[in-house]
Amino acid sequence: MKAVVLAAGEGTRLRPLTRTRPKPMIPIGNQPLLEHVLEAAREAGIEEFVFVVGYKRERIQSYFGDGDDWDVDIEYAVQKTQLGTGHALLQAESQVEGEFIALNGDRIVEPSAISAVMDERRSTGKSIIAVTRHKHPENYGVVELEGRTVRSIEEKPPAYTVQTDYINAGVYGLDDSIFEDLRSAEAEGELGITTALRERRDGLRAVPFDGLWLDVSHLWDVLSVNGRVLDRLEPSEPSTAAIHERATVVDQTSLGSDVRIRPGATVLPGTSLGDNVVIGSNAVVANAVVLPDARIGDGAVVRDCIVGENASIGPNATVEGGETNVVVDSDVYEQVRLGGVVGDNGSLGGGVTLSPGTVLGNQTTVESGCHVSGRIEHDAVVRRG
Amino acid sequence: MCGIIGYVGREDALPILRDGLSNLEYRGYDSAGVALGGGSLDVYKKEGELSALTEILPDSSTATMGIGHTRWSTHGEPTDVNAHPHTNESGDVAVVHNGIIENYDTLREELEARGHEFTSDTDTEVVPHLVEEELDPERDLVDVVSSVVDRLKGNYALGVVVAGRDGIVATRRGNPLVLGFADHGTFLASDVPAFVEHTRRVSYPEEGDVIHITEEGATVYVDGEEVSRAVQEVDWDAEAAEKGGYEHYMLKEIHEQPTALRQAISGRVDEMKGEVDLEIDLPKEYLNSLEEVQFIACGTSYHAGLYAAKLFEEHADVRTSVEVASEYEFDGGRDPWRTLVVAVTQSGETADTLSALKRAKRAGARTLAVTNTLGSTVTRLVDDTVFIRAGPEIGVAATKTFCSQVATLTLVAVHVSRQRGTISTADAQELLSDVRGLPGAVQQVLDNEEQVRLAAEEFADGDAFFFIGRRLGAPVALEGALKLKEISYDHAEGFPAGELKHGPLALVTSETPVLAVLTEGANADETLNNVKEVESRGAPVIGCASDTVEDAEKFADEVFWVPELGELEPLVANVYFQLFSYHVANLKGRAIDKPRNLAKSVTVE
Repeated sequence: MKAVVLAAGEGTRLRPLTRTRPKPMIPIGNQPLLEHVLEAAREAGIEEFVFVVGYKRERIQSYFGDGDDWDVDIEYAVQKTQLGTGHALLQAESQVEGEFIALNGDRIVEPSAISAVMDERRSTGKSIIAVTRHKHPENYGVVELEGRTVRSIEEKPPAYTVQTDYINAGVYGLDDSIFEDLRSAEAEGELGITTALRERRDGLRAVPFDGLWLDVSHLWDVLSVNGRVLDRLEPSEPSTAAIHERATVVDQTSLGSDVRIRPGATVLPGTSLGDNVVIGSNAVVANAVVLPDARIGDGAVVRDCIVGENASIGPNATVEGGETNVVVDSDVYEQVRLGGVVGDNGSLGGGVTLSPGTVLGNQTTVESGCHVSGRIEHDAVVRRG
Repeated sequence: MCGIIGYVGREDALPILRDGLSNLEYRGYDSAGVALGGGSLDVYKKEGELSALTEILPDSSTATMGIGHTRWSTHGEPTDVNAHPHTNESGDVAVVHNGIIENYDTLREELEARGHEFTSDTDTEVVPHLVEEELDPERDLVDVVSSVVDRLKGNYALGVVVAGRDGIVATRRGNPLVLGFADHGTFLASDVPAFVEHTRRVSYPEEGDVIHITEEGATVYVDGEEVSRAVQEVDWDAEAAEKGGYEHYMLKEIHEQPTALRQAISGRVDEMKGEVDLEIDLPKEYLNSLEEVQFIACGTSYHAGLYAAKLFEEHADVRTSVEVASEYEFDGGRDPWRTLVVAVTQSGETADTLSALKRAKRAGARTLAVTNTLGSTVTRLVDDTVFIRAGPEIGVAATKTFCSQVATLTLVAVHVSRQRGTISTADAQELLSDVRGLPGAVQQVLDNEEQVRLAAEEFADGDAFFFIGRRLGAPVALEGALKLKEISYDHAEGFPAGELKHGPLALVTSETPVLAVLTEGANADETLNNVKEVESRGAPVIGCASDTVEDAEKFADEVFWVPELGELEPLVANVYFQLFSYHVANLKGRAIDKPRNLAKSVTVE
């Protein structure tokens, strides 16, 4: 069976990270979310993929190519404007025939969920949707069940109306008849896959599963999901990383190729360091996601922090970490663990300190000795005084 | 410059040859053909791109053996009759050939005198007739081909099939040939991508080898004696031949640069010590005794050589010269024992560069190759090789390999400078730290692609495009102009910025955009004066600027920002020029991956 993977979305809530990469390319354990999806599907026995790409698609195409590094075939379909998951799926119409699996490209899901959907599809011939339980179903597509049959799917309904914990896990078993339904489904604005599925006359079957299912909605989720994934990984260290003998790197960390760790530096649990990252002498990095080519200066302390690609943290800069309240689009999120975010190509001078929850846009420069908090736009320069 | 392929095995040869040719199309694409073998030979050939041939090919064929060719004309125009394979009158001998047979005139006259009739204008056609003359049911085909090639002068890689004979006989002299061993059969080809989907087990024949290729494998003969040649695994994958969602290989390859650069530096740099490990054997005493480092190269590689030469002069404190390979002579009173000759060639097969290299070797100079291609001819000619590890590049216009060449040459410069004691550890550390910063800086440029695309839209209709820069910006100006003219067919020229007022300024009008390198390492402040010169003639100015110049917006109509990266800033600016060239050409609907009249690696002089 082929898998159509929906990877065209931007992920606006994950800015500034998604200014230069689509949400499926957010790295978790040094692998893009999309690579976790691909590997799970491959483990479930899928060898042919259609990636529906759109926003910043070059990042995806350059990383995955034709799939040879994973021993799978990847074709691409382009969704020029992001008009919903149903519209995205329609772009792959000419590339699939008969039965296929559709997957969200930005949710980490266990292979067993995918193979369960494939099995159910093969044995019943009906449209299948995987469902899982979630603490906050109201943030997702809430699925009301009657036995194994889906009674309704409501996208992000008001919390007080929700009567069930089951949500749409974003794994579908379908066939090419869905395309006609997608086309005829009336939708206002965005067209979701579920809009078309609701109309299926022959019923829509649910496959519940309770394995790993991880979504990255907000910046702080990048850190917590990264931590959970690292806990599950077998410790391994690429031979091209150079760790000085007087540096400490614990397990539950992931190091990309050509990472350099200088004398006295300490890399603590929950940390992923991307390719070509340099950690300066005596620096402390804990529970952090550091993207490729970033440099962390001597003596810097970087906790609960996301450091963007090619960003540079000056000597003795401090991101102290911890929990704080963060406001996103006028919603207050209480007590989330987020020491700070430095956007791609950002630059913190020596001795800069970030208050917990600080988010710096891409190419932002903070001059030496400044104390910064709140949200700073991209391309800004923060000076003292 | 052409591509050849052959297959003998258990599977249908037609689809294998067709796919193989499409993977070789970068080597030539003005005509193509195949000969399918067995009891009799079926030859199909056609002028034009491979798609034209595909139209006249049958849907299927039971043949399990055949040869194919994609041509880039040297002797004879691209026409159906001049396309390969070439045959004798009866059509029972078919030949594909890459190279030039220099004495074909004489051979042809002799053959015509003996009654042979020729149908094409090519040098190649003499070969099937010569084979026919030597053919004898008692004689082995290897023996026949051996005596034929004894009479040929020039460069060739040949594949010969004869109706009713088992297998293909191949030979090479001066042109590339590689054998591939798959589970279902055996391949010969000009380059690995032709068959990499079927196998990565390959062997590279030596000059003068005559090889009999059969379903079971290949037997190699030298002067009639069987010899063995090592079989190795290549680490290229089939991705070599596919575009991975991009419209053009060129755009794919531009976007691959951060990855290619990380590969180029991976495991080679010790920033703490300020040292570089390139696994080359250039003794310290030899490097200390050097009087000159000479770079020989063509096209884009030549520009990489110019960039590197300036880094060598500055850091290794050694005299350098950079020669266009086709102009190369080893003279001027050079001491061969104190001259290191560095050949820069992406393919490792560039005929001009190889021939210049042979001159340097004859003179007794030590040689070093900087190339992208494992097992290529250049690697067998030189004393040492440093690979740029850029991965396969299919687009005819070189992009990622330029970036990787300069990055790799910078590492060589640091290595030589350290050995000579002419650079301090601190300066070496800084330069190496800049090299490590390249992938991130290039990615930052790629993230600005939309700005470049819009600028391309605005300026694409210029009458001509001038690229200017000083010092390390000068080779980048030359490279920028080469890229644009190669793929957009616009008139584009690059100059050292100071030269503008000594002539070219006469060409500058309000309809000729000027693209300037205004970064560190490129004497930006002085170039700004030249920018003002062209501005006062009304020319639109696009500046690639870093923080080293203040208020670049004041002087330029469009500014592309280059992140801080010391002496490598001009190299990063070049990525803007690549994107600009691509988008201008794309707007004009050009055949970006296969520009007219050009071929990827030029194996003729």
